[in-house]
Amino acid sequence: MSLRGAIKLLLALGILGALAGAAMVYFGVYNVAATQQHTAPVYWLLNASLKRAAAVRAKDIEPPPLDDPQRIANGLVLYREHCMNCHGAPGVPPNAFALGMTPLPANLAHTAKTWPAREMYWVVRYGIKMTGMPAWEFRLPDEQIWDVIAFLVAMPKMTPLDYQARAKAIGEGPLKPAQTQQREDAITAKPDPFEGNAERGAIAMQQYACVTCHEIPDVVGAIAPVGPPLKGMATRGFIGGVLPNTRANMVRWLRDPQAVDPRTAMPNLGVTERDAHDLAAFLETLK
Amino acid sequence: MSALFPLSPLRLAGALLCCLSLAACGDSSESHTAAGDPERGRELLWQFGCGSCHRIEGVVGAVGEVGPPLDGIAHRVYIAGVLANTPENLVRWIRVPQEVDPLTAMPNLGVTEEQARDIVAFLHRRG
Repeated sequence: MSLRGAIKLLLALGILGALAGAAMVYFGVYNVAATQQHTAPVYWLLNASLKRAAAVRAKDIEPPPLDDPQRIANGLVLYREHCMNCHGAPGVPPNAFALGMTPLPANLAHTAKTWPAREMYWVVRYGIKMTGMPAWEFRLPDEQIWDVIAFLVAMPKMTPLDYQARAKAIGEGPLKPAQTQQREDAITAKPDPFEGNAERGAIAMQQYACVTCHEIPDVVGAIAPVGPPLKGMATRGFIGGVLPNTRANMVRWLRDPQAVDPRTAMPNLGVTERDAHDLAAFLETLK
Repeated sequence: MSALFPLSPLRLAGALLCCLSLAACGDSSESHTAAGDPERGRELLWQFGCGSCHRIEGVVGAVGEVGPPLDGIAHRVYIAGVLANTPENLVRWIRVPQEVDPLTAMPNLGVTEEQARDIVAFLHRRG
């Protein structure tokens, strides 16, 4: 093929590609609904872009000493005020609205374990487009952003009871977000007893943010091992290491884990009875 | 510790013993006490029957499904959902799980401090 021929072919392919892209947009092919997770390749691309963007831009940031207890205490106050509603805290669920977000706000105990402090600082300061993560640069003085980072760095080493004790010692301010009350099953007529719908359960895994703390095979975004992986849940002997794995116990655990084991980091996410059955039905498919 | 558990004479005695045993090996270098022997750890996981309840990659026959799989445990944030996952805490959990969480199904198998360190070395090497 001559050079001219090759150029013509490339041009034609380019135009075709642009037309296909325009058609995808016009016909609304990519679903932007927050009830539907990104496809695996899109999720991977977005996640990788986010990590690289933060890493490249934060590489010359020098964190101040972050192990000062006063800084950590200040950070807890700021975290509770500005971050907990979306990200939760050890043993504390996010506010109900945050569970409906896509992408879901990350569990920061895991982030703090895997990200350098300077990159977390960069994200807090500048925010992340199209995620709901706001930029705090114009809202918090730099010193306070570092206080929050100091708290984040300390967080993975806190048990839920440690966190509660620290939060109570500081006083003032709520221990947990206000709207975590159980939403009743009023939305749908109750089929009683619930049988559980695994397909609906798969959506509920996202909608109750289960995926931010548990690795689940073939579920996009379920990549942060805060708690144990859920693969094999169908045949696992115990739930949370404390309850024999039956449907009734699973529903009880999902609805109020801390009523079963007050020490667990798994929070009460306001799961309704119907949704708990659907989640349990989904978990029963994880061989 | 006292924040986590109500103090009872028995626990106090246990805590004292714990301190004493730590003090006893205080002379040896820190790396010696902190880092166990992963190969011995693999053997111990087998000898203590950990595999009858846990799936553990690299330990033959460890295909138990009673508790969670141990592969990738080094990356997890919490141990048993209740304890921050540090090597020191994992040693403590392996030795006295029911002291950490009285409700847990994980039994006290009489693992010594040194053995627990070897086991942790193996689990952390597996990543």
